[in-house]
Order: sequence, then structure tokens, then C-alpha cells
Amino acid sequence: MSPEMIAILMFSSMMLMLMMGQRVFAAIGVVAAVASLSLWGTGGSDLPFSAAMKLMKWYPLLTLPMFIFMGYILSESRIADDLYKMFHVWMGSINGGLAIGTIGLMVLVSAMNGLSVAGMAIGATIALPELLRRGYDKRMVTGVVQAGSSLGILVPPSVVLVLYAMIARQPVGQLWLAGLVPGLMMATMFILYIAIRCHFQPHLGPALSKEERDVPLAEKLRLLRAGVVPILIFATMMVPFVNGWTSLVESSAIGALTAFMVAVVKGRMNRSVFEASVRQTLAISCMFMWIILAAMAFGAVFDGLGAVGAIEGLFTDQLHLGPWTILIIMQLSFLIMGTFLDDTAMLVIVAPLYVPLVGLLGFDLVWYGVLYTITTQVAYMTPPFGYNLFLMRAMAPPEIGLRDIYSSILPFVFVMILALAVVMAFPKIALWLPDLVYNK
Amino acid sequence: MRRFVSRYVAVVDAVNYRVGRVAMYGIFVLIGILLWSSVSKVFFLPSLWTLEMAQFAMVAYYILGGPYCLQQGSDVRMDLFYSAWTDRQRAWVDAFTIFFLMFYLGVLLYGGIDSTVYAFEYNERSYSAWRPYMWPIKLVTCIGVLLMLLQAVSELFKDVAKIKGVSL
Repeated sequence: MSPEMIAILMFSSMMLMLMMGQRVFAAIGVVAAVASLSLWGTGGSDLPFSAAMKLMKWYPLLTLPMFIFMGYILSESRIADDLYKMFHVWMGSINGGLAIGTIGLMVLVSAMNGLSVAGMAIGATIALPELLRRGYDKRMVTGVVQAGSSLGILVPPSVVLVLYAMIARQPVGQLWLAGLVPGLMMATMFILYIAIRCHFQPHLGPALSKEERDVPLAEKLRLLRAGVVPILIFATMMVPFVNGWTSLVESSAIGALTAFMVAVVKGRMNRSVFEASVRQTLAISCMFMWIILAAMAFGAVFDGLGAVGAIEGLFTDQLHLGPWTILIIMQLSFLIMGTFLDDTAMLVIVAPLYVPLVGLLGFDLVWYGVLYTITTQVAYMTPPFGYNLFLMRAMAPPEIGLRDIYSSILPFVFVMILALAVVMAFPKIALWLPDLVYNK
Repeated sequence: MRRFVSRYVAVVDAVNYRVGRVAMYGIFVLIGILLWSSVSKVFFLPSLWTLEMAQFAMVAYYILGGPYCLQQGSDVRMDLFYSAWTDRQRAWVDAFTIFFLMFYLGVLLYGGIDSTVYAFEYNERSYSAWRPYMWPIKLVTCIGVLLMLLQAVSELFKDVAKIKGVSL
């Protein structure tokens, strides 16, 4: 059998097993194990276990539980409540101001953790009820929270970029810096969209009433102090790292400790918060790690087959496509797959196939990391499978139905695809900052 | 038979629950090692052992936590169809597909034992300045995978019980 055929067989049997609803890591792992045994006999039996050893040696992966822990501390202890109040008071006076403030909140939360879960939890439990009570359109609000929280994986620190770095063998530091400007650009685009929409349709996001706006200046300034927390956490993490005193992994531990200390100092750390954050950190870390473990075995079989080279040959030599056409086709297929594939599976399964192909075509892999992350963000939000959609359904108040959640994301998905196109057309947006810092 | 099954499920679940609860606090061990690493780097001589020790702690954390997570059902599934099924239908399908999981774990364990025996026989050490022995972490990995396999069997028993409509 040709490598292409084996590759297709492996993918389709994995898809079939995923459809049957067995755990994702089991579906990936069994295909890898069977393929390696049947290709290389008893010599292939060590392959799944050596993936575990390879995984262990990959140092930046240690940041994963740290950032997950930080995220859960943040959302469980609700130390972000004050932050929301700050935006509320400062932004409330314009149409759509609270929604704009929520995006600002999400950017700050994203700078403190690497997943979208924390932003989602904070947005759905704090911002959502407040905005609904103030007469904001429910579709507008759900869309804002979902789009805003997806920034968590693009703005550094980002867990998705850590995983990408592992697959693409690129430095995590550069990838994070590359994600910063596009992340802020996307946040700005969200804000512009909200501002313009609410300017023409004020009923979607009415400004606060006169009484509510009448906050004394001293109180307003006092609330600004809430902004110190994220800056503090971000700074204790990034300053030692950027100055080269500590490695990325050590910085992530410092960040986790700082988040924990902040929760303690603010009096928000009690038994149930502690229990919930520690337990969920284990659950999410294990989920990720076992999937990565299985996916590495899968990837090793793929490497052994030389399947990527064969597929590249098919595109360039037989179909005579240019690199850009292939890249655009890949992004489109990625988007389509993202809408119906499980996100985590997509992350670790599709990437080992796409990333080397992009490298072979001569594109910059740091830049592609940003494209990849934005595409994953879109996938996170689009039905029927979207991690954020499920979370939203679990966390949103009952008056928000599934239909509202699905339709709320549409305009934001368009904005994100626009952002994707802009970063594709102007790679400098992503590469400017890492080039500056690392003097490439 | 039924007594054996319910006893098995009770014992395996209890063991894995406890192992998982202990592993859960491993996050603090991990944070501790990494903090010591940063402190020693900034103020004293950098420690040789922290990097690899953190990696070992990380492996122990997720491998030993795995069975507990399996038990709690925190692993993601692709629920396009799964979410629409009844509990009984899920139990039926799971009772078959769990064998895929067991097969994967079996291969993992086979390779693990192979590698651990090798590490024992040749006193395998890591290629680094600290040169730790490799067998302890490999042994921990094997134990974790074995517990995972035992937990998978327990899940199968629970599914079969659900299909038959008996309580264990």
C-alpha cells in the first residue's frame, strides 16, 4: 500500500472511532498502535511508550498545567470581579460601552492565562448577567463573551501556541510575541464592530442611565486599582522571562504562585475554591496530556511513513498548485474541518499533517502559528462542535437558548475571518514584534 | 461472578480515587520545584536537578492522575451523536469501543515494561549533567498505565451492569 493510502486509512478509521463517542485519546491511540504494529511488527510495539518519553523531554510542556492552574484560580476565586466593575464605570456612558468594556476585560484575562475557559467563565458569570439586566441585546452579549474569551489562546501566554510549538518545533517565546499584535488587533476589530453597530442600533447596547453614570471621580479612580492585579500577575511572569533571569517554564510557575497569592490576599481563597481549582487543573491537564501522548504516537507513525512528503508532491507536482493557493486551500479546509471536528483532536491531529507541509512550501512557521491559532479560535466558536459553545450552554442564564448562542457568534466569526485574511496578507503584523525582540 | 465484579469495581475505583487525589496535589510539587529552580538561578548557582525533576513530576502527575480522570469522566469525547443517545445506548456502544482503549493501553504497557526492564538491566541514565537513573520514572509510568487499564475494565463492568439494569 502506498503511504498516501495508509494515511487516508488511518484518518478515516480515526474519524469513525471518534464518531462512536469513545474518548478522543483512545481513538487516536488505538489507530496509532494498530498502524505501528501492522507496519513494523513487534518493532512497532514500543512506539506508543517512547512517545511518553519524548513527551517528557519536551520542556515547555511544563507550562501547560501552570497556565491551566492560573486560569482556574482566576475564574474560581472571582478575583476578576473588580476588574469588571472598573470597565463598567469607565465605559458605561457610551452606547455599547459595557460590551466594549467586556472585550477589554477579556484582553486582560487573556494576558493572565492561556486558555479560553477562564475568560468564558468570567464573562458568563460576571459580565453576562449585568449586561442583560441593563437591557443589552442577548445575542450581542453572548457573542461578545464568546469572541472575547477566544482571545485567551492568541494573547500570550497561550496554551495552544505551546502545543503548536511542540508540533512545529518552533521557539515558544517567539510564537507568543507573534500572537500579541494580532490579538490586540482582533480585539480592536471587535470593539469597532460593537461601537459601529451600537451607534446605529442603540437598542442593542443602551448607554447607562444618568443616575448610574453619576459615580464620583474619587470612586472612579479607586476602581482603577483593580487593573493593577492583571498587570502585577503579567509583570511577575514576563519581566524575569524577558530579562533572561528565568526560563519560560519557571516564569509560568511564578505566575501560578502570584495568582494564588493574589487570591489569598484578597480573601477569596477558601476550601471549595481550592478544591475546585486543583481538581479541575488535574482533569484538564490529564485530558490534554493523554491526547498529546496518543497524538505523538500517531505523528510518529506519520513521520515514519513519509506521508507528508507524498501529499506535498501530490499538490505541487501533480496538481501544479502554487504555495499560496495550497496555503489558502489548507486554511479553508481547516476552517471547514474545525466546524465539525472536535477542537482538541483537530489541534493535535491536523497540525502534524499541515505544519510540515507549510514548512516544505517555504512559509514562516512562526507566522503560520498565528494563522493556525486564529483558525482554531474560529473552530472553537462554530457549531456543531465548539468548545466555547458547550461552555456557553453550560454557563449561560436560562433565557439564552441554543439558537441565540449559535446565531450570536456569526458577526464575530466574520470579523475573525477578516483578521485572519489581514494577517495572511501582511505577515509583518505577526512577525514585527518577535523580529524586533530577537533581532532576526 | 456478580460478587467478584462488584468487589472488583469497588476496589479498583477506591484505589484509583486515592491515587488520583494524591496525584492532584502534585501540581504544588511541580510549582515548588520550578520556583526553587528560579530562585537558585537568580540568587545562587543554578541547580542541576530541577529541570529533569520537574519533568519526572509532570509525568507522574498526569499518568497517575489519568485513572482518576477516566473514572470521573473528564476525558473529552466527540459528542456529535453521543450526546443524543440515552444512557443505555451509550453504555452499549461504550461496552464495545472500550476495547479500543484497552488495546491501546495494552500496547503502551507492553512497550513500557520492555523499556523498564532494559533500564533496570543496564542501569540506564539520562544524558545530562545530573544523570538520574531512568528506571524509577519508567516504573511509575508502567504502574500508571496498569491502573488505567484496570480502571478501563471497571468502566466496562459498570457499562455491562447498566445494560443489564443491575446495580453493582
